[in-house]
Amino acid sequence: MSGYRIELLTVGSEFFCPAEQPILKAMMQLGVKGIPSGCHGGGCGVCKIRVVEGQVRADSMSRAKISEAEERDNIYLACRALPLSPLTIEPLERLDRPLRKYGLI
Amino acid sequence: MGVMRIGHVNLRVMDMDAALRHYRDVLGLLVQGSDDSGAFYLKGWDEWDKYSVMLSPSDRAGMNHVAYKVEYDSDLDLFKDRLAEHGVDALLEPASHLPFCGRSLRFSLPSGHEMYLYADKERVGKAVGDQNPDPWPDGLKGAGAHWLDHVALQCPFDPEKGVNTVADNCRLLREALGFYLSEQVLVGPDADIQAVAFLFRTSTPHDIAFLPAPTCGIHHASFFLDGWSDVLKAADVMAKNRVKIDVTPTRHGITRGETIYFFDPSGNRNETFAGLGYLAQPDMPPITWTEENLWRGIFYHTGEAHDSFTSVYT
Ligand code: FES
Ligand SMILES: [Fe+2]
Repeated sequence: MSGYRIELLTVGSEFFCPAEQPILKAMMQLGVKGIPSGCHGGGCGVCKIRVVEGQVRADSMSRAKISEAEERDNIYLACRALPLSPLTIEPLERLDRPLRKYGLI
Repeated sequence: MGVMRIGHVNLRVMDMDAALRHYRDVLGLLVQGSDDSGAFYLKGWDEWDKYSVMLSPSDRAGMNHVAYKVEYDSDLDLFKDRLAEHGVDALLEPASHLPFCGRSLRFSLPSGHEMYLYADKERVGKAVGDQNPDPWPDGLKGAGAHWLDHVALQCPFDPEKGVNTVADNCRLLREALGFYLSEQVLVGPDADIQAVAFLFRTSTPHDIAFLPAPTCGIHHASFFLDGWSDVLKAADVMAKNRVKIDVTPTRHGITRGETIYFFDPSGNRNETFAGLGYLAQPDMPPITWTEENLWRGIFYHTGEAHDSFTSVYT
């Protein structure tokens, strides 16, 4: 199977992503932690990453979550980004929730 | 007179072909047509009005508006006045402003969501007809959802800054639109902050739910199934179609509903919901869940917090 190594900065882990698979999906299937996982549809924005090194191709991402400026700045939603080369990426959203003051929020 | 039920939800989708495959082939809704703007209209087989889901092409996910159906056209004038008494400026829109509908009343909830009331919508009938009908039609796809059951909305909530639009919405719907409170969650040191509110107009536990959130959005749109075995089959259909499931089949404590949470291809959360829970009536004492037990209320079996429940929405 063709694919690429993905290096996750800040958490310091690495995983293999098949060429035709979104980065987030590959990460989840391998049980790797590092990027928050949400809707897997490019709508909710929790899986935001910066591609520090390498090339990706992205499917539709919500403009409410990734601005044009962010896109120019190599910021993507990991659930919509497919690798075109080995990648070094940085998760931009927190995995751990800040303390819930009111049970839900 | 008064509000009868949820009429439709208008969702934004980023890829219409993928959205149609989801709402038609996975949920099993029936496509009723499209318009020049590229929007598609769908209904459940058991619904008689032309559509309960309107999908609009967009560069983002989320909800444009939700609409509730009232019994009489004159109710719209009455509710316009009642909303004004509560400081909400509602606009009467002409027929066809809401596609395939008569005139409508448009306003914003305190949470920022756009809501409509309308009395008339083009009627197409149930898939089984209304003469000596069979209990279900042939050729249903996927989960074969009966109808759009309710929406749950994410409402700005920050009590320290004096913001609680869950409570504001709840008060407005009860006082101006005649909704009843079925269940609520009270939080905070004095257990007096309403963080969750479930309201109804039908005889089911909820026709709308308000949840606390950092920003305005939609938590989910929910579709009705008959029972637990239909819920399990719906999950099989989702797995077959590689739908992203958020929460596998389980039971809510609140409403007693049997549920699956999952996402459409643009990331909007859906629910398939079975079991009518209990008979909701105007004189039923509202049920209160406390802060320590609120996750038991949300996911009855585990009783544990589920991270994506509050942080993931569109
Ligand atoms: S998981 Fe929701 S946008 Fe990626
Ligand atoms: Fe629900």
